[in-house]
Amino acid sequence: MAVCVAVIAKDNYPLYIRTIAVDNELKFHYTVHTSLDVVEEKISSVAKNTADLRELYLGLLYPTEDYKVYGYVTNTKVKFVIVVESSNTVLRDNEIRSMFRKLHNAYVDMFCNPFYNHGDVISSRSFGEVVNGMMVQD
Amino acid sequence: MSRQTARPTDSRKVSAELFTLTYGALVSQLLKDYENDDDVNKQLEKIGYNIGIRAIEDFLARSNVTRCNDFRETADVISKIAFKMFLGISPAVTNWSPAGDEFSLLIENNPLTDFVELPEGHNKLNYSCVLCGALKGALEMVQLEVDVKIVQDQLKGDNVTELRVKFIKRLEDAIPAGED
Repeated sequence: MAVCVAVIAKDNYPLYIRTIAVDNELKFHYTVHTSLDVVEEKISSVAKNTADLRELYLGLLYPTEDYKVYGYVTNTKVKFVIVVESSNTVLRDNEIRSMFRKLHNAYVDMFCNPFYNHGDVISSRSFGEVVNGMMVQD
Repeated sequence: MSRQTARPTDSRKVSAELFTLTYGALVSQLLKDYENDDDVNKQLEKIGYNIGIRAIEDFLARSNVTRCNDFRETADVISKIAFKMFLGISPAVTNWSPAGDEFSLLIENNPLTDFVELPEGHNKLNYSCVLCGALKGALEMVQLEVDVKIVQDQLKGDNVTELRVKFIKRLEDAIPAGED
């Protein structure tokens, strides 16, 4: 169960950020923002080494004392970032991968909406519902 | 315009997603051009009408149906053969009016509206309006004047998309249809 889910566009501005209800939501925004650097590093290092199929799932980007941050980048350079609590040890790598896959599917479905313009902030109801399904319920 | 001999199988099938995306692009462009929901609805209906008057020829050539004896038969042919042939769905025919001149077509999974969510502020947009125009045009070419309206729309929160078809009049009585 995620504590924060973010979708970031190719040009590194946020398309969608959803966090659980917490007084200091900005903290999550900062975390996601700083994780972008790690994402860029991972993308560029892999691109130099391999010319063939690159893994979309980036894995654990970095752990902080309270949270773990995972990343995923699509072939169109849209990035998904998921933040989970460090105390949540039940979540395995496979589950995070499947969360990203669901996110990616929901993103693609939302993108096929003819009224969604590339680069707009995401305001789709069904996408929001998918994200809700993977956040921590309080 | 019979294509029965030219193509034994319909080898030029287009992916359903491409069709959905094309129609979606058309509607969103119309919305950008006209900006007013009612104008867009009118244009979609006109587009549907133009498709309908041509599609009916193709339909009659490919399906070999005979003249329908009454409106109920027409409704069944529309739902089971025509919709199946062009869109691959079979809407249910229900809600007949007591006089037998109005019925509803209930569409559950409309291929035109896959992935679509209506944007804010455009609640009066009838996305599937093109179907209304097409039905009206097609039936007009077989001498039946009808009025087709959307009464329920899945994009606006209802469970099904419902098209209400109302018979207005026969256009020419030249050939009597069996028992009148």
